[in-house]
Amino acid sequence: MISIRTIVSETGEVKNHNQKYPYRLNFYSIPPIEEITTEEFEVFALDRLQVLKAIESASLRSRTELQVADHIRDISNQYLPLHSTDGGKNYPLEQERRKDHISHFILRLAYCRTEELRKWFIKQECALFRIRFIEENKEERQAFLNNERLNWNDLSQNEKESMKNELSHANPHIKFNDETFFIVDFEQVLDLVSRRAVYIKAGKAYVPTSEQVTLVVGEFRKRLSAALNLASRAFPSIDDERILPLLNNINQQYLGKTYVYNNNTIVDKVTADNVDQMVGHFPLCMQHMHIKLRELHHLKHFARMQYGLFLKGIGLTVEEALIFWRKSFSSITDEKFQKEYAYNIRHSYGMEGKRQDYSPLNCNSIIMNKQPGPGDQHGCPFKHFSEDNLKVFLTQTGVKKDEHLKAILDIVKGKHYQVACTKYFEITKCLEDSISRGDDERHLMETIKHPNNYFEQSVKLSKINNSQNSK
Amino acid sequence: MDSKEDEAATPELLSFFYSRFFPYKTYVNWLNYETESNGAFKNRELSFTLPSDAYLRYNSYNGEEDLKAEIMKMCPTKIDIGAIYTAKPKDKKTMRLSAFKPVEKELIFDIDMTDYDEIRTCCSGASICYKCWKFMTVAIKIIDVALREDFGFKHLLWVYSGRRGVHCWVCDENARKLSNERRAAIVSYLAVIKGGTQVSKKVQLNRTLHPFLRRSLEIIEKYFEDIVLKDQDVLGSEENWSKVLNCIQDDEIIKKLSNKWNGSNSKSSVQKWDELVNELEHAASASGRKYSKKAEQLQICKLEIMFQYTYPRLDEAVSKNINHLLKSPFCVHPKTGRVCVPIQPDDCENFDPFEVPTVSSLYQELNLYVEGERKVHDYEKTSLKPYIKYFDNFVKGTSKEAREKNRSQASMEF
Repeated sequence: MISIRTIVSETGEVKNHNQKYPYRLNFYSIPPIEEITTEEFEVFALDRLQVLKAIESASLRSRTELQVADHIRDISNQYLPLHSTDGGKNYPLEQERRKDHISHFILRLAYCRTEELRKWFIKQECALFRIRFIEENKEERQAFLNNERLNWNDLSQNEKESMKNELSHANPHIKFNDETFFIVDFEQVLDLVSRRAVYIKAGKAYVPTSEQVTLVVGEFRKRLSAALNLASRAFPSIDDERILPLLNNINQQYLGKTYVYNNNTIVDKVTADNVDQMVGHFPLCMQHMHIKLRELHHLKHFARMQYGLFLKGIGLTVEEALIFWRKSFSSITDEKFQKEYAYNIRHSYGMEGKRQDYSPLNCNSIIMNKQPGPGDQHGCPFKHFSEDNLKVFLTQTGVKKDEHLKAILDIVKGKHYQVACTKYFEITKCLEDSISRGDDERHLMETIKHPNNYFEQSVKLSKINNSQNSK
Repeated sequence: MDSKEDEAATPELLSFFYSRFFPYKTYVNWLNYETESNGAFKNRELSFTLPSDAYLRYNSYNGEEDLKAEIMKMCPTKIDIGAIYTAKPKDKKTMRLSAFKPVEKELIFDIDMTDYDEIRTCCSGASICYKCWKFMTVAIKIIDVALREDFGFKHLLWVYSGRRGVHCWVCDENARKLSNERRAAIVSYLAVIKGGTQVSKKVQLNRTLHPFLRRSLEIIEKYFEDIVLKDQDVLGSEENWSKVLNCIQDDEIIKKLSNKWNGSNSKSSVQKWDELVNELEHAASASGRKYSKKAEQLQICKLEIMFQYTYPRLDEAVSKNINHLLKSPFCVHPKTGRVCVPIQPDDCENFDPFEVPTVSSLYQELNLYVEGERKVHDYEKTSLKPYIKYFDNFVKGTSKEAREKNRSQASMEF
């Protein structure tokens, strides 16, 4: 268990340990037991957070693994440099590793508090570890793994030959003859299983050495996840006034914007009847669901959730929401509506069940979570439409020029869906010219990160335009 | 159709079914997995849909007796099975939310015919016929063998959902204990059809097929012509064949084939499919692009279409979450009156959804039965018998596994 008091002291003395950190890589199994200043405490935490945030946003922008690694190396060198023993003679290795070690444990405390924070932390830390592991040279890696007593059963040469077809079909890119395989339970390489990038038989996965990193990261994830659960139980006993505020707030400080639902929404009054008039301010995903809702008089669960919460975010009250959906589902009976849908609508407004007041989904979760299946209308058109359908839909919704169409589709091809959405905004709102002219109030927005933000920007813009027209 | 008529299950018939046929004992044994003093069963969530359409979640029972009493009293139109929790679900309200957590549940799969609407031409929505039911046969074959051979699961209970789909309950101990993350990985491994209504091409394959896809393809190849080309006739009308052509990423080929097919109605889907395959092969081997990415794409396209039109369509959300409820075996479908009976995976091509016993047919069979000398259970007097026997046998298997596990644990402690 982590006792936070042991790593913080008023005296600010830092004890010196020789060769405490023989390896660059660290599974963070042992908490730091030295004393540091409160200032160092904060700086370490924020510096590590910079790196984790950079990892998050790099992966959101769907860069390639190589690009992400390059980017992270730059950010790391700035905030949290960590050099390899080999060739790192000119760097203060001990200090670097100490900072890496301590900062990890501080954030571990800050991020152990809720399921959501834990998930986020695990994800970014695993990505960071993965990058570092891949970068590390072979000998150091092996020494580290030996030290952690991590080894796996090899597949014997005979067995390997007998499974030649299966193994090489599952891993078409390896040189079969040079490769050795580990046998592990499939649970240890979920990532490979879900991508069908490994041969599995009777619950055992046959992992080529080239995918060893997946095993190691899997082990890292497992240990971190268990440690976070332990920490979350210990957290309530922390009552140190010097560090509690930091631990409690650090995630909000940096976790980027979440869309906060408030009653001071930007339009006067949204009712079941005037939603149709506002569709012009909706981002493409919401326009699509609105059109489909009108066409089919029905939407499936996740579409109702995505669209319903968006409408909630623009100010549709629960009473109006019930009317809106009742009217929209015109082909079903009142009874069926009350039975199957009304509860969920009230639930999303925090009026049923565990009474959680749900926030509208952000672009990230729309793009990454709940991939639409057959019959589903939810998701992000830029990501989930085929190119042809997207082209048609863009043309229908106001992208008239071929060059504009091509510009958007090119961005989509690079998988920058939010950038594409921003571009779409600029094109359909005729901002292109004013941007190049560097125009006053109608300046270029940041990248769209939230459908409700898109809506607000659009409404704001039309207000500016109106006031300028009336001048 | 010479099959049994659909007949809604009236409250009287339901009550009759619950009192005379529902296999309480085996059912409780199944869900208890040989735990001491019904430990697992007591913490299992069962939820009821009542005739009034009220939906009651988080019920739980001590054993066969109080379960039977409650079912007889409530006469639910549907029973759903949920997870085993850390405590009795009926005490949920008295507990801290953090102390009430799901810990185990069978890995489940739900395959519903409505998800086939974009590829089937015979029926849509809730209705099914012999033609489209074959999709379910293929689905069972592909998923069953993958769960057994790839993941090593042994105790798979396939159940007819009573109307238009099938469910699978994977009851092995290590399946019940899977975390959500692991469930999601298995689902992702098995899910081949991806994308919503706005994506016409829903299958993307690599040039080298993973062994699992290879095996699935062997099964698909056996059925594709029969189901997709002959029964569904997907290259028959323009509306349907244009959907197939949309899966080809080459405008020239699409144009060529649609010109060919537009004029003539005489060609069968099988003939058109041959033309399509020839066209793809021809284009792929055209000079200059033999080893190019494009050629690869065209070669694999044929397989992608076959998968898109034959591979099982899983409701992924159901399988991914340990919390998710699924309709219980041996419920009665309220609309069709059919009993949700088990399907034998190794004989699934002979399963006939229209011949499944309904509550009213069971009522008649029981009335017509002539008592012999030997006293037998009510179900043995009817066509429900083989299904109950199969279920009994299945539960013997899961119980045996659990007992062996208990024994080996006990001996280790000793």
